Amino acid sequence: MTTKPLEPIIKIRDLTKTFGTVSALSGISLDVDPSEVVCIIGPSGSGKSTLLRCIGFLEEYTSGEVQIEGRLLGYRRTASGLVRESEKNIDAVRRNVGMVFQHFNLWPHMTVLDNVTLGPRLTKRIPTGRARGQGRHALAKVGLESFADRYPSQLSGGQQQRVGIARALAMEPHVILFDEPTSALDPQLVGEVLDTMKQLASDGITMVVVTHEMGFAAQVADRVVFMDHGQIVEKGPPVSLFNAPESPRLREFLDTWRSRNMLFQNDASVTGEGEEGGARS
Amino acid sequence: MLMWGAGMTVLVSGTAIILGMPLGLMLCFGVTSSNPWVSRFSRIYQSVWRGTPILVQLLIIYYLLPLIGLNVAPILAAIIALTLNTVAFQAEIFRGGLLAIPPGQMEAARMVGIRKWAMRYHVVVPQIFRLVIPSLVNETISILKNSSLVSVIAVTELMRVSQQIVATTYRPFEIYITAAVIYILVNFLLSLIGRTAEKRLAGGT
Amino acid sequence: MMQSLDLWVQYAPLMLRGLVTTAWICALATVVGIAVGLLMAWLGSIAFAPLRWAVRTYVEIMRGLPILILLFVLYYGGPSIGLRLSAESVGVFGLGLYSAAYFAEIFRSGFQSIPQGQIEAARMAGLTGTQIIRHIKLPQMLVLITPSMVNQTIILIKESAVLSIITVAELTKNTTQFVNETYAVIQPYVAAAVLYWLLVETVARLGRFVERRVKF
Repeated sequence: MTTKPLEPIIKIRDLTKTFGTVSALSGISLDVDPSEVVCIIGPSGSGKSTLLRCIGFLEEYTSGEVQIEGRLLGYRRTASGLVRESEKNIDAVRRNVGMVFQHFNLWPHMTVLDNVTLGPRLTKRIPTGRARGQGRHALAKVGLESFADRYPSQLSGGQQQRVGIARALAMEPHVILFDEPTSALDPQLVGEVLDTMKQLASDGITMVVVTHEMGFAAQVADRVVFMDHGQIVEKGPPVSLFNAPESPRLREFLDTWRSRNMLFQNDASVTGEGEEGGARS
Repeated sequence: MLMWGAGMTVLVSGTAIILGMPLGLMLCFGVTSSNPWVSRFSRIYQSVWRGTPILVQLLIIYYLLPLIGLNVAPILAAIIALTLNTVAFQAEIFRGGLLAIPPGQMEAARMVGIRKWAMRYHVVVPQIFRLVIPSLVNETISILKNSSLVSVIAVTELMRVSQQIVATTYRPFEIYITAAVIYILVNFLLSLIGRTAEKRLAGGT
Repeated sequence: MMQSLDLWVQYAPLMLRGLVTTAWICALATVVGIAVGLLMAWLGSIAFAPLRWAVRTYVEIMRGLPILILLFVLYYGGPSIGLRLSAESVGVFGLGLYSAAYFAEIFRSGFQSIPQGQIEAARMAGLTGTQIIRHIKLPQMLVLITPSMVNQTIILIKESAVLSIITVAELTKNTTQFVNETYAVIQPYVAAAVLYWLLVETVARLGRFVERRVKF
């Protein structure tokens, strides 16, 4: 790879978002550099998903700025302040941003391949034949090439989410946003999705991942961001963040997570014994 | 003769329903539009056509068209009135279907850069029809029944033909009962078709 | 504009008389519809198959039948089988029996919407059958079905325009008289639309009021 470009892909300055009187984000600033993997962790209701949705402009932000590759997202600077941008120009700024959703959001009436190729066909005016080729390529990357002609309802949750990833990939984005991509999955299906994401990370794709999977964050992230009450409390490389948390809130969050995990393991052993007991009687 | 009238009934109401579908979809998009003027105007249209008797609407169209210089055949006036009426009701049906589509699907479309109209065409419309088939069948039955009112502007559909036969035979009870049976049979057939289509589509995916 | 105003003033008594006729016929028809509808919903819920089929057939026939045909059968066909009714009574009973089918469906869905578990819980708490209906079923049902009942009443009001065809001097009939006497089209129908809208809006507001009262 060449030297790092000066411009970060995503540049967030003093971002705030309020829903009515409730403040969801207050004073968020964050840069994401090319090829970087940033994981955002934090308790539910901390504003992680709202932040991600603001970066995708699925949510209008209240004040501050989000820039994608140096271009202001969603608004236009005028003499009197920021003015809402037209849909067309928002699309132009957003075209290099992909998104993977918690609930997959596949279109149920289309085949897997059509789900993946609809975006490129309509927005990049790629002829259907070529789009299908690229779509199969994207599906191959997530290991689902042979499922191209199935419908989403015929796939497992993990497979559906991998299609969601392929759909984002097919647009050849410069950054992909993941909004709790494994939270809606059965535990045994989480692994395949995380493996796919690890593969993307090692391919050098820039990723912003909102997640509850601490293991994934520790292993894959270049930087971890801990959010609470709509603010970034702490950020840094995973090693220092997980092993030497500075803020009490992060320490508490990690403690809770660890004890819950222990509890879960204990639970598993308890159930195991219970089943044996059941078999004996 | 009654059969000929029944054919006319099916023709008039069928045309209105089919014309009403694309227009109803447009009105549905108008009602749900983020542009306040478009949505306000659409809502007023909808509440006027849903809030007044269809017989009054029919008479207005029939008498008003010549006043603005359009001398159209009664059958055309009937089709126009029934269409403008069903558009308002179909828009509401489509709106219900629209609400049933998870908003996340729209967001996913936006995130791959698909624009509003392309999204409606590729993502929304194909799903709406599956969702609203039962309501659309009910609306078709309702328009078919209401088409009996166009007899008052001398369109010779089933109702009008029955009246004519009664006028020559003086046997109102038998004739009107026969007409009633024809209406019920046609509507029964319709709901049967609707149920089959529903099952077909439900099994599709 | 002045001419329109004059016309409206001149024909106000006629139009208002029409409105009043429409209102009382609809009110009586709604009472008939609800009473017969409730009776049918109850008959349909009895575990006796022929009764259920009879109710089902009645509902299906009414739902497939244009109201105009029903009125014609009663008004013009009635005398030939010895049934002589005034146009107004045909209006009340025609509209009433017609909407009874729809009201019956509303009541049926209302009864079905109460989860069986609640009934079982009430039985286990020692409530009798009538107590269950009075304290468990009815209060919940009312909340659920009030909007549909209001909606059905509004449909009935709009359908009552058809009574003009069998010579009842209600709002639409008097509007056509207004048209025939003045050769004006816009003023009479605008007046009719406004008056229908007023009636419908009153019922809708009344419905929302009742809805708030029955809500828990």
